[in-house]
Amino acid sequence: MREEAIKQDIEQRYEACLVTVPREKRIGISLPKDSLFSLIAFIKDEGFRHLSLITCVDWIEEDEFELVYHLASYEDGIHAIVKTRIDRADPVYLSIIPLFEHAQTYEREIHEMFGVDFTGNDRLTPFLLTNWEEIPPMRKDFDTKEYSERMFEHE
Amino acid sequence: MNRGGTKMDKRQLTLYFGPQHIGMVGNFSITLTVEGDMIQKAVANPGFLHRGFEKMLENCTYTQGFPYVCRINVMDPDPCEQIYAMAIEELAGLEVPPRAQYLRTMVLEMSRLSSHLLWLWAYANELGFDTIGHWAMAQRDYFIDLFDMIAGARVYHIYIWPGGVRRDIPTGFAEKMQQTLGGLEDSLKDYDAVFFNNRVFRRRVDGVGVLSQEEAVRFGVTGGDLRATGVERDVRKEEPYAAYADMDFEVPTMDDGDSYARAMVVRKEMEQSISIIRQVLDKMPEGSAWHRPPNPFKWKIPAGETYVRMESARGELGVYAVSDGSDKIYRMAYRVPSYPHGILVLEKLLQGMNIADVGHMLLSLNIAAPEIDR
Repeated sequence: MREEAIKQDIEQRYEACLVTVPREKRIGISLPKDSLFSLIAFIKDEGFRHLSLITCVDWIEEDEFELVYHLASYEDGIHAIVKTRIDRADPVYLSIIPLFEHAQTYEREIHEMFGVDFTGNDRLTPFLLTNWEEIPPMRKDFDTKEYSERMFEHE
Repeated sequence: MNRGGTKMDKRQLTLYFGPQHIGMVGNFSITLTVEGDMIQKAVANPGFLHRGFEKMLENCTYTQGFPYVCRINVMDPDPCEQIYAMAIEELAGLEVPPRAQYLRTMVLEMSRLSSHLLWLWAYANELGFDTIGHWAMAQRDYFIDLFDMIAGARVYHIYIWPGGVRRDIPTGFAEKMQQTLGGLEDSLKDYDAVFFNNRVFRRRVDGVGVLSQEEAVRFGVTGGDLRATGVERDVRKEEPYAAYADMDFEVPTMDDGDSYARAMVVRKEMEQSISIIRQVLDKMPEGSAWHRPPNPFKWKIPAGETYVRMESARGELGVYAVSDGSDKIYRMAYRVPSYPHGILVLEKLLQGMNIADVGHMLLSLNIAAPEIDR
């Protein structure tokens, strides 16, 4: 199976990396943040040339943000989910724009919604929100109900 | 027009294109820097329809999410329901009966057709072919009637449900469907004669907004815009969901990557959708249309994560869902097809273009602003 071959290949190169094949056409990769950039560069050369999505998960109890990169291959249709965790108190990470130009927009949204800074992205300007002065709204400690009651004076 | 303090060439002006603009369809805006009628720089401004659905989904139970997700794409709502149901089903390990898979396929293709017809309305209107616009809009209404018949709602159907579909099709539906499909097939001939094969149309859009194959791949473009550059990629073939594995259909492609190629891909897709719906009606298995999920008020889904994807009218639609074992989703992120080509690709293509081409180029990319904003 092609998925298993890729899995072995990655495990040989990156020791601290946890690779799973949850089902057909899916690969899950978790790794420490210092080797993520090089891993994405590596699998991009292996055929994962489609960056489908970058997203973020707020694990507030563990005090971490999880950045999730979704890459897919045009040839065999395998979809890889690459995950790494960064410190929630100091949310700074490397931009992957040198590898995928359109990562710019995804990073811009994560910056706005979670407050993660991406070094190397010079367009972390307001994206979907207007005049936002609260904490980034997709963080788990942002209380939607409290905000709307305060904002719209709900009795 | 120029804001005080910004240093610009004296001949350059800032032009706000949308959200209130006759050439702008949907809640979206572009800030253009123009010199004469030539665009020097374009900046896309989404966010007029930001409703925070991803945040709201974290606050509601699994079935409560359905009225939100269909509103992610106003023109093409059913794929957003399907992808949400697929994510829940995969996390919960819920089976979908074969008849429901067929009904889902039918509804998804109906949604694709009504989205393409709405696109044709906007696109033809933008180019001055008002008659075609009205024809397409009228034709779309027949599909809306069919949706009304099966779901009781015209625009947001909430027909797809975890474990299947909400109810089976009523009596007389298949006949009405065949009649509508026949009507559309006849209309397509008219659209071809008056619009798609029209020399005026051809000369207006040929070579406008050319996206090369290399660029399309580099920018993560999917769907019709990618297929118009010659890449045959369709999630329905790559990773068949619903009943697409049993369907016989082609994936139309074009080579030039310009506005004309993109329009022709949409045109050819309509034929394929008609054929798929006919196959669904022919091959539909008997049986139940719904496997009952557990009590929706107490439904807890085991902890886990998944990424599911499908082909909506505009390209790859995906959901990354994380469950923490409670009765609400921990995180649900939508991968929407308009995202790559609605911001960076649009800004790039508009550079060096005439102001008169902005409106129809924008439509030929088939951007859905509500999808970007969510």
